[in-house]
Amino acid sequence: MRSESKVTPVLPSNLAIRIEDLSIRYKINIESKKTLKNALMRASKGQRVRTRTVEAVNHLSLDIPHGSVVGIVGANGAGKSTLMRSIAGILPPSEGRITVDGKISTLLALGVGFNPALSGRDNIILGGLAAGMSRAEIESKTDEIAQFADLPDGFIDMPVRTYSSGMYGRVAFSVAVNMTPDILLLDEALSAGDAAFKEKSFNRMRELCAQARTILIVSHALASINELCDVAIWLHKGKLVANGKPQEITEQYLKFLDVGALPSSYEDL
Amino acid sequence: MNADPRKIQVFEPHRASLPKLKPYLNEFWRRREFATELSRFTDKAEYLDSKLGKVWLVLNPLFLAVIYFLLVSVIRGGTSQTDGFVTLAHILIGLFTFYFAQNTILLGAQSITSGGRLILNQAFPRSLLPLSSALSAARQFIPTIPVYIAVVLIGKLLFPDAALPGLTWNYLYLPLLLLPLAFTSFGLALLFATMNVYFRDTSKLLSYITRIWLYASPVLWLPDMVNGWHRIILYLNPLGPVLSANSRIWIDGLAPTAAQLIACAIWSLLALLTGGYFFISRERDFAVRI
Repeated sequence: MRSESKVTPVLPSNLAIRIEDLSIRYKINIESKKTLKNALMRASKGQRVRTRTVEAVNHLSLDIPHGSVVGIVGANGAGKSTLMRSIAGILPPSEGRITVDGKISTLLALGVGFNPALSGRDNIILGGLAAGMSRAEIESKTDEIAQFADLPDGFIDMPVRTYSSGMYGRVAFSVAVNMTPDILLLDEALSAGDAAFKEKSFNRMRELCAQARTILIVSHALASINELCDVAIWLHKGKLVANGKPQEITEQYLKFLDVGALPSSYEDL
Repeated sequence: MNADPRKIQVFEPHRASLPKLKPYLNEFWRRREFATELSRFTDKAEYLDSKLGKVWLVLNPLFLAVIYFLLVSVIRGGTSQTDGFVTLAHILIGLFTFYFAQNTILLGAQSITSGGRLILNQAFPRSLLPLSSALSAARQFIPTIPVYIAVVLIGKLLFPDAALPGLTWNYLYLPLLLLPLAFTSFGLALLFATMNVYFRDTSKLLSYITRIWLYASPVLWLPDMVNGWHRIILYLNPLGPVLSANSRIWIDGLAPTAAQLIACAIWSLLALLTGGYFFISRERDFAVRI
């Protein structure tokens, strides 16, 4: 999964993440399904697959210091989720380099792949193992995670298919924040649970920051970005549009959503 | 708070085909518990509501073996009861063994495409998913061995003249055969899992391939039925040597031949290296293609 360069690049000690000239492109097949049958049919007719290249992230550079909470905003298709996955080492860069210092925990879009037939407790154990913990490590934390998720009585030992979407989100969030990550990546994960759980999760994230852990949050909940983050970045079509104080960035972004105007200096993007 | 030494990870474009193998294999070994638990939990979820489900895993190949035995007996014409019983024992152990390889390959081939969310949201050596499938297949295979032994013991009581070996030291070769069986199956599972990411009908095609493969393997027929240069068919089949050696130990009570053992080693190395190369060199693209 992880590629290591021959000479480990120097990462200044204050930085948790350094992104250097990162581009991520991938091809999508715009025609038939990817099957051997179709491939043979095309080959027999001498046809080639029609693909389209998507530039999900385009020459992006960014330094993220330890202990910062970075909010990432942008319209759909801006490359936010792709950026998060590349920082987690899931999607390889097409160009550039990402250097990361520390253990990463993720709660990314599309959910965590819980097995609906298994109980919340079993899924917590599987989630921890998938994140790289040992069975003993995750078992010692299971009660803490279950307690944090604060499900109604007995639900933690019931199959996940019986959960409401809020309960599901709470368990997923609890697993991610209780992995003691150095870097926590949250993609559209702030909407889990009710107001009380939201407050609790915000407090947990503040605790993590106080321990100099780094958090990246992708969210459309701009008020939460303003409340939690100390810096925000705005991505548009894979490029970094603006980077600065959350209030200023979200204001610019809202203006863009209202009138479709990018800041003047970025109109040529 | 930085761990000392710092845990620096670097993600760069991968131009070369294989990543550095040492860190990859270290990570694979470090996270092996994920594969074992994933397999255990997947089986648990599958058979949670069905106690009979697990029993069926054993009964299914048992019934199939009986059906195949009846077919073979009809095709071959009448044989004595004792010979018939030996044939049944051969089909039974051959089918149980073949099913382990088949399940490893079929479950493994689908493990990447069906592991979508895990692959999109967690970074781990992807080969842990086919490994988890292989462990599930092993969990299905192991209980079939006592069933085989029970059938043979009952058969011995009913047909005392049946030419089946009693206890012999040659049974000690069996664990040795499990290694090439597991390596060959796992290597092929890696190969087909990679293919299935690029061509989604691979797993469908595989169900036909494994059926033909079963007929071409010394399971429904005895390895001794082919003679002269025809015996090459036993060696061109990746599972041929291991199934022949398996039958030789269980049914004849003899040690595997040197040729069988060498062929087992060659096929397992070939499958593991080829499958491993294709899988590991392409697994960084899986998240894009899922």
